[in-house]
Amino acid sequence: MIIEPLRSPGAKLVMVRLLSMVVAILFIGCGGVDPAPQRAPSHQQDTLSTGTLSSYEQRQGKHLYTKYCAVCHGEEGKGDGFNAFNLDPKPRDLTDSKYMTALNDERLIETINEGGRGVNKSPLMPSWGGRLTEEEIRYIVSYLRTLFRSR
Amino acid sequence: MKKHMGKLRIYFAASSIVFLVVLAISPLKDFFREWKLNQYEYNNLIKELPQRVRPVEVGIKQLWIQKLDRIDRCVTCHLGLKEPALKQVRQPFRTHPLIDHDVEEFGCTVCHEGQGPATTYKESVGKVKYWDQPIFPTKFMEASCAKCHKERVVPHAPTLTLGRKLIEEANCVACHNIEGFQKQWTPSLDGIGSKVNRTWLVNWLKNPKAYFAKTRMPNFLLSDEEANILADFLMTFKTFPNEATLDGLPMVLTSRSEAQREKLVELGSTRFREARCISCHPINGKGGYVATDLGTVASKASVRWLYNYIKTPKRFQPGVEMPRYRFSETELAGIVAYIQSEFVDYEMERAESEVAHKPDPAYYEKGLALFKKYNCSGCHELAGMKKAEEMGPDLTFIGSKKLYEIDFGKSGIEQTIPSYLLTKVKDPRVFSASMKMPSYEFTDEEAQAITVALLGNTGERIPEELKVYPKPRSTYSPQGEFGKLVDDLACFGCHTVFGRGRLIATDLSLEASQAQRKWIEGYFKVPYSLRPILTERMPNLFLSDAEIRVLVEYMEKVFLADSLEREIRADQDRIAKGKILYYEKYGCQACHQINLKGGYVGPALDKVGSRLKPGWVFHWLKNPQAFKPESIEPNNKLTNDEAEALTAFLMSLK
Repeated sequence: MIIEPLRSPGAKLVMVRLLSMVVAILFIGCGGVDPAPQRAPSHQQDTLSTGTLSSYEQRQGKHLYTKYCAVCHGEEGKGDGFNAFNLDPKPRDLTDSKYMTALNDERLIETINEGGRGVNKSPLMPSWGGRLTEEEIRYIVSYLRTLFRSR
Repeated sequence: MKKHMGKLRIYFAASSIVFLVVLAISPLKDFFREWKLNQYEYNNLIKELPQRVRPVEVGIKQLWIQKLDRIDRCVTCHLGLKEPALKQVRQPFRTHPLIDHDVEEFGCTVCHEGQGPATTYKESVGKVKYWDQPIFPTKFMEASCAKCHKERVVPHAPTLTLGRKLIEEANCVACHNIEGFQKQWTPSLDGIGSKVNRTWLVNWLKNPKAYFAKTRMPNFLLSDEEANILADFLMTFKTFPNEATLDGLPMVLTSRSEAQREKLVELGSTRFREARCISCHPINGKGGYVATDLGTVASKASVRWLYNYIKTPKRFQPGVEMPRYRFSETELAGIVAYIQSEFVDYEMERAESEVAHKPDPAYYEKGLALFKKYNCSGCHELAGMKKAEEMGPDLTFIGSKKLYEIDFGKSGIEQTIPSYLLTKVKDPRVFSASMKMPSYEFTDEEAQAITVALLGNTGERIPEELKVYPKPRSTYSPQGEFGKLVDDLACFGCHTVFGRGRLIATDLSLEASQAQRKWIEGYFKVPYSLRPILTERMPNLFLSDAEIRVLVEYMEKVFLADSLEREIRADQDRIAKGKILYYEKYGCQACHQINLKGGYVGPALDKVGSRLKPGWVFHWLKNPQAFKPESIEPNNKLTNDEAEALTAFLMSLK
């Protein structure tokens, strides 16, 4: 491209204008640089029905726990359900964080699945494997984990 | 010339640099895209994990769910959905909770809503202009289950299930169209003028829950004047349905002898207890919840009405689920005398005597206008009046309503459908004072549940094969003498048989396979609770031997299944083996009592050998949920041998 020398005083202005137009067009075309990625807000603020339970599994687990476990282990897991009075040995206190943290999830699943007799404990704890699905037992375990953490 | 060239070179160099910078913007912008940064971060994150996780190839990912007509790019950033190792990491990489549906089959937005094809956080959650379905907050999540699951009890969706139950109980369909719900029975108002006391009616209309805390009747927030006019209007309706008339009271009840009266009250108090009236009726808030509170019923209803109604409930209130007890005339008089002596609201009666009421001259016209305005005939029958046409908005597709169609008034709430519905259900007249919807005084939890159930009505096109429908309504309707008895005793008010009735009490469809005839006959005479922990609820209906025979003979022919019959050989060895299984292997005593030892979660098993049939016990032990899906009894996966031994042991307890 051959450019004639710019003589007229207005030529400089024209070029500046031209350049700034190109820049502007390019900028508009690109739409500016995106802002930094936003982090998804945690759903823990949603406390209306969920209380302090943050995950789906825990909420499902609570529902199942209340139906199947609370009669002996108590609503809050302290081993003081209404039926605990009749049992010897007494139901385990599930809020005992020292005891519960020593058990991994797999062990808890096994205990719920096979009952006391499956893990050399009292047969008074029934085996739930035939009643509950594997998924449901996992829900319960994730709820059990909230019982002592919340203390 | 040279001088000019020098200047030009500088311009040229400057403009070239500007061009270069400008040209770099686009690739830079592309490099720093939100989703790309997320993918780089994901690849860094998984390197620190102890487990090996496959890194992601950078690029847009999407799920195309053809059958649901959805394209979801959420998986571009939500990279760990199916990766169990990522349970504890931060969003958007965390594992999806275990659910029954595979994300690759159903996609994301069909449940979560939001804008599927978007690739930035802000746009994908849909909190942008002109996008009416932003992502659901967790508390409303279960609404999406309702798109496909039309059954009443949806597995793993307790909030939705509760919401549907409340919509049914609150009779929302009296004013709104809602698919899948039918109007529930409510009392007829014909004859109300011969039944209730006017002062009571005014109080009731102003605040029904003050009289019966669990009533289904909502509060229409009437002014004193409105309540008085409506009460005057209603009190003019003195004839009962089907021209039923009140019989005169028996002599014993009108007798003035103090001693006789006392004896009568005592008899009534005994029968009142034996009939277990409080199984259904609370007294000042304590007792059942099915029927109205009797705490101050003597100040509400006239003596003549009480006497006649208890005698033959269905004559004055067709369709009511109150049994007709087989009381003698004296017993009936006794119960009424007992009610008169106990269940009185002295305060109301004192207040009533102090105020002289002068009805508004135009009370009838004004009352009728109020009756129509609030669509009272949506629930109650009165002189054959029709329910108002299109009272409340149609709620069939409320979940997908466009925001511009909704008037948020000056409420200042977040402008989304869920927050609109939640606010409306909690406080029905908040958006405008001229609204007519009554207040149900729902708790936060209940309002949330109803909102969830309503939000599910989206009208979104879902392929038929994905939908789950409720079981069709049972058409079981026993005929003949048995049918008449079942109707007269309102058995379906508590028991279910072949899918018809309520589940307040046990399902009787297989009762004759389950229990021995002699036991059933004895139970009709002296009913009791099988579980030590439950209050006794089955009423003594004072049936005659002939009536019991009719009931039992029909049950023996119809309420059974031949497949449940089984001979169980019961020798000493087997019984001993069963005993060991009962106490030592399966720990049944944790929940069941024998000779007062053991838990009280399940029924006591003393004398179970005189109550149940061996075939039933065997099949029940093998799979309890086959008979009662909601039963919490564990399924111990017994072998036939074990189940037979346990049955032999249990049947030896006579």
